[in-house]
Amino acid sequence: MALTARRTEPVTILQRERTLRPDLFLVLPYLALAALGIVMVYTASAPRNELLDLDPATTVRRHVIFVLIGFAVFIASSLIGGRTLRSLSIPIYLASLVALGLVLTPLGRELKGAQRWIQVGPFQLQPSEFAKIAVILALAVLLSTATRLRWFHIGRSVLLVGVPAGLIFLQPDLGTMLVFAFVSVIMLFVGGTTVRQLAFIGLAAIVMAVALFQVGAIQEYQIVRVTSFLDGGGGDDADYNQLQSEIAIGSGGFFGKGLFGGTQTNLSFVPEQSSDFIFTAVGEQLGFLGGAIVLGLYAMIVWRLLIAAANGRERFSQFVAIGIAALLVFHVFVNVGMTLRLIPVTGLPLPFLSAGGTFFIAMSLGLGVAHSVWMRRSPVPDE
Amino acid sequence: MSFGWRLGAVALSFSLLFGVLALRLWSIQVTATADYEDAAESNLVKFVETPAPRGQIRDVNGVLLADNRNARVAVIEGALVPRQSEDQLVRNLAAFSGRPASEIRDLVDEARRRGDRVEVVHELTEDQVVFLAEHPEEFVGVRIVETPVRVYVNGELAPDVIGYIGRPNADDLEKPGIKPTDVLGKAGVERQYDGVIRGESGRIKYRINARGEILDQLGEQLPAPGGTVFLTIDSEVQEVLNSSLGQGLQLARELHREGGCVPSDEDPGCPVRAVGVVLDPSDGSVVAMSSVPAFDPNIFVEGVSADEWERLNAQAVFNNFAIQGVYAPASTFKTVAYMAALEEALFPQDVGSADDNSYVCDGLLEFRFNDGSPQLYRDWLENGHGNVDLHGALHASCDLYFWEIALKIWNGRNSEFDQDLLQQWARRFGFDKSSGIDLPFERSGLIPDQEWFEEAQRETPLLVRDTPWAGGDVMNIVIGQGSVLATPLQLANAYAAMVNGGTVWQPRVVHHVVTADGTMLENTPLAANQVALQDRTVALLRRDLQQVVNGPAGTARTAFANFGPNVEQVGGKTGTGEVIKGGLGQEGELHGDVDNALFVGVAPISNPKYVVAVVVERGGSGGRIAAPTAARVLQFLLNGPEGVTDVFAGEEAD
Repeated sequence: MALTARRTEPVTILQRERTLRPDLFLVLPYLALAALGIVMVYTASAPRNELLDLDPATTVRRHVIFVLIGFAVFIASSLIGGRTLRSLSIPIYLASLVALGLVLTPLGRELKGAQRWIQVGPFQLQPSEFAKIAVILALAVLLSTATRLRWFHIGRSVLLVGVPAGLIFLQPDLGTMLVFAFVSVIMLFVGGTTVRQLAFIGLAAIVMAVALFQVGAIQEYQIVRVTSFLDGGGGDDADYNQLQSEIAIGSGGFFGKGLFGGTQTNLSFVPEQSSDFIFTAVGEQLGFLGGAIVLGLYAMIVWRLLIAAANGRERFSQFVAIGIAALLVFHVFVNVGMTLRLIPVTGLPLPFLSAGGTFFIAMSLGLGVAHSVWMRRSPVPDE
Repeated sequence: MSFGWRLGAVALSFSLLFGVLALRLWSIQVTATADYEDAAESNLVKFVETPAPRGQIRDVNGVLLADNRNARVAVIEGALVPRQSEDQLVRNLAAFSGRPASEIRDLVDEARRRGDRVEVVHELTEDQVVFLAEHPEEFVGVRIVETPVRVYVNGELAPDVIGYIGRPNADDLEKPGIKPTDVLGKAGVERQYDGVIRGESGRIKYRINARGEILDQLGEQLPAPGGTVFLTIDSEVQEVLNSSLGQGLQLARELHREGGCVPSDEDPGCPVRAVGVVLDPSDGSVVAMSSVPAFDPNIFVEGVSADEWERLNAQAVFNNFAIQGVYAPASTFKTVAYMAALEEALFPQDVGSADDNSYVCDGLLEFRFNDGSPQLYRDWLENGHGNVDLHGALHASCDLYFWEIALKIWNGRNSEFDQDLLQQWARRFGFDKSSGIDLPFERSGLIPDQEWFEEAQRETPLLVRDTPWAGGDVMNIVIGQGSVLATPLQLANAYAAMVNGGTVWQPRVVHHVVTADGTMLENTPLAANQVALQDRTVALLRRDLQQVVNGPAGTARTAFANFGPNVEQVGGKTGTGEVIKGGLGQEGELHGDVDNALFVGVAPISNPKYVVAVVVERGGSGGRIAAPTAARVLQFLLNGPEGVTDVFAGEEAD
C-alpha cells in the first residue's frame, strides 16, 4: 500500500478548494464512537446513580455537554490551516506549561491522591490532557525544521518533552508521562532519528526511571499497581478492579448480554466504569462483536491519520498527524489492555468513549488538527 | 530509511498492538467465556443461611421442657460486606454496639473469610432495631435476623438429662456439616440427639450488587425445623426426685453440722451432692434422673456472670452424676453375691443352704489366708447380728456372711469355682461397662479382678500396694468396696434386672421422636443382656428386699417407718460406702468416717414398676440419709402427691 503520495500535477486553486472536504472515513468513526460512548456511559452510570438516589441521567447529561463542545472544537480545529496552526504551536505549548504549573499551586484541586485539576466555573479542567496535544504540536514544529536530525535536535526534543513531563510527574500522573514518552519516540523515529540516537534516549529513560525509584519519588500506589499485576493478584484493590473487569468482559461472550444486561457493570462490580473502565461496559454488554467493532473504528481512524501523514502538505502537518495517531493508539492500547488485564492500571481513559470532559475535548482538538492535515493534503491522483 | 518506510514501520507496529488487543478479546470472550460467566454469576448471587429452630423437648406426657423463642440479632453477613465500605462499617458498628473496633474488625474479617454470618449484637432492643432499619447505608452487610433462641421451660427441672447447647469446639468442627456459627447440643439429650433436634438450616438466594446491597430475592429454601423429642422422663416424678434430693442433702448437711455446712477442703465431711435415678425395670426407661445442686441450662443461652460461672463450676454442677459419678456401691452390691449364692449354691463353710441359719454373724471374723497369715475382719455392727441365713444376712446387711461367700470362692478357686465367679455375676448385671444409655459421657465404673490389679500394679505402681491379689480383695468386692465403682444408673439398672427376672435393659431417656414432617421415630427398648435366673431366685430377692424395708432386722426399717400406705409394696437395700476412714487428722484432731449414703428401692415389689437409686455423696449412713430420701420418691410413686412427707433421718445402718 502506498503511503507516500506521488505528485503528478500542479495544484490549482480550484483543486485546493475542492479538497477542503471532510474525510468521512475519519469523521464517521469519530461520531460513531462518540455516540456509542454516550450510550455506554449511560448504561454504566444510570444504575449506580439510581442507587445513590440521583437522577440516573446525571452523568450522561454532563458527558453530552462535553461531547457537543468537543464536536465544535473538532470542526473548528479541522478548519485551521497548517501555517496558522504552526504559528500557534509554540504559544499553545507555553500556555500549557503555565497551566500545568498552576495545577501544582493552591489553585489546583486534588482528587484521589493526585493534583491534576483546575476548577473553571462549574467544570474541572485537566491541563495535562491539553498538554499532550501541545507537546505534539511543539515537537512537530521542532522536527519539521530539520530534514536530518542531529544530536542537537535530540537534546532540544528531550528538553521540550521533559519540562511538561516533569511538571506532570509532580502531580503525579505516571500514565500521562508514558503517553509523552511513547508519542515522542514515535515522532522522533518517523522524523529520522538514527538507531544510536534512539538507543541513547531509551538508555536515558531507563536511567531516569531507576533514579526515580531510588529516590523514592514514584508514588507507592503506582508501584503497588505494577507489582500486584505482576504477582497475579493478591486481593489488592487495583487488581480486584481489573479482575472484575476481565470477568465482565469475558462473561459478555460473543454477542454480549445486551444493554443494561451486564451484571458486572450495571451492578457496579466494575469501578470507574463510565470513565477508565468504559470498555468493560462495551465488552460485557455488546460482547466480542461490539468490542471488535470499537477496536475496528479506532483502527480506521488511526489508518486515516497515517494516510493524512503520508499525504501531508508540509512536514509540520505530517508530524502532527503522526503524533495524534500515536497518542490515540497508545491510549487505546493501554486502556483496553488494562480492562482485559493485559497490562497494569495506569488511569488512561479511552478516547471518545470515556466520560471525562477535558479528555474528550482535548482528543477532539487533536483529531481536528490532524483532520485538517488531510483536508489540506496534497492532491491524490485518483481524486 | 526514507520517511515512507519509517511511517510503514510505525503502521506495522500499530497494527501489532491492535492485533494483540483483538486476540486477547477473542481469547477471553469467545474461547474462555464459560469460566467468566460462572465468575460473574457467583459475584452477584449470594446465599445466606437461615438457622433452623431446634426441635422441642417434651416429657413422656408431652409437657414442654425445651422450646424456642425468636430473638432479633444483628449479624454481619460475610458474603454481603463490600470491601469498599468495610472500614466505615467497622467504625459504625463499634459505635453502635459499644464494642471495641478491633473486636468488630475481627468479626468482620471472620465473616468475610467464611462468607457466613457472625453475630455482632445479640438481642437487639426495639430502639436498636429502629436505628438499624433507618440507617441501612451506614451498615451495609449488617442484617437483622430473627433467630430462634433456645428456651428451657422450668430450666432446673432436668438439666442433666436435657443438657445444654453451645458453639462448636475444635472437635465438633471436624464433623461434616458443622460450621463455627452453628449451635450444637453440648450435653445431655441436646447433644446425643443433636442430629434430629438441630434441623436443617435454610438458604436464601439473593441477587446483590457490588456494594453488597440486596437487589432482590431469587429463591428461598426454608429451614427444616428439628424433630420434637419425647423423653421417658415424667416431669412430676422428676420434680419430686429433685425436691427429695434437695431435702436429703439439706438434712445430711444439718446432721453433719448444726445449721448446715458448705462443702470445702476444710470440711471434707460436709455432704457434697445428692444423686438420684428412677428407672422402669420393665423396659429400662429412665423416669427421672437428677443431681443436686443443679443448674439452669438457660445460662448457656443467655450467659452468666464470671463469678456465678466460677461458683457453679466449682460444684461441678454441669456433670450428670447419675451416669458420670462413680461410687463404691457398698452394701447395695451384696445382692450380686446374693444372686450368685442362690444360683450357684454358694454358702459359707459348713452352711448347707440359703435357709440354714446355723451361721453366727457376730462382730468379728477370724481366719487365715492361704499363706497362713492370721486375719481379723470386723462387721459394720460391733456386736453382729446373731444367727443368720442368707436372707437374714441381706436384711441386716451382715458383712461376715458375705465375706465367707467370698472366701469360699477364693479357697475353691483352683478346683470348685472360677476365681472370677463373683465378678462374672456382677458383669452379667451390667457392672464394669457403660449401660449404653442414650446420653453422652457415661462412665463405665469398675469391677476389679486379678488381671486388672496386676495391670494397675504395672501402670501405676505408686497407687497400688505391692503385695499380690488375694482373697481379701474378693472379700472387698463382695461388699461393694475396695476398688469397686458403679454409677447410680448402673446400680439401678442392675437392680432392675435382678427384680425383673434377669433382663438387663439398655436404659433410655428418649421415648420417641416426632420429626418436623410428622414421622414418628420409635426408640425401641433394647435388652443388653439376659441373665439366666430361676424364678425362685427372683422371688426370694424381692421378698428379702421387702424385708430390708419392712422386716424387724431390716436396715431401712426406721427410714420407712412413717411411709404411710403401701409400705409393704416397697423393697430395697441400703449401702454405706467409705470415702475417708475415721481417725486422727493431720493436726491431731479426731474425726469420724466420711461415707457415701446409698439406697436402691424397688416398688411395687410384687410387680416392680420402679427402681429408685439414691446416692448422697458424703451423706453418711445409707439407712439414715439415702433411704429416707428415696422413700419420699417412693411415697409419690405409690401414693401420689398426697402421700409425700418431708425427708427425716432414719437409723444409722449400713
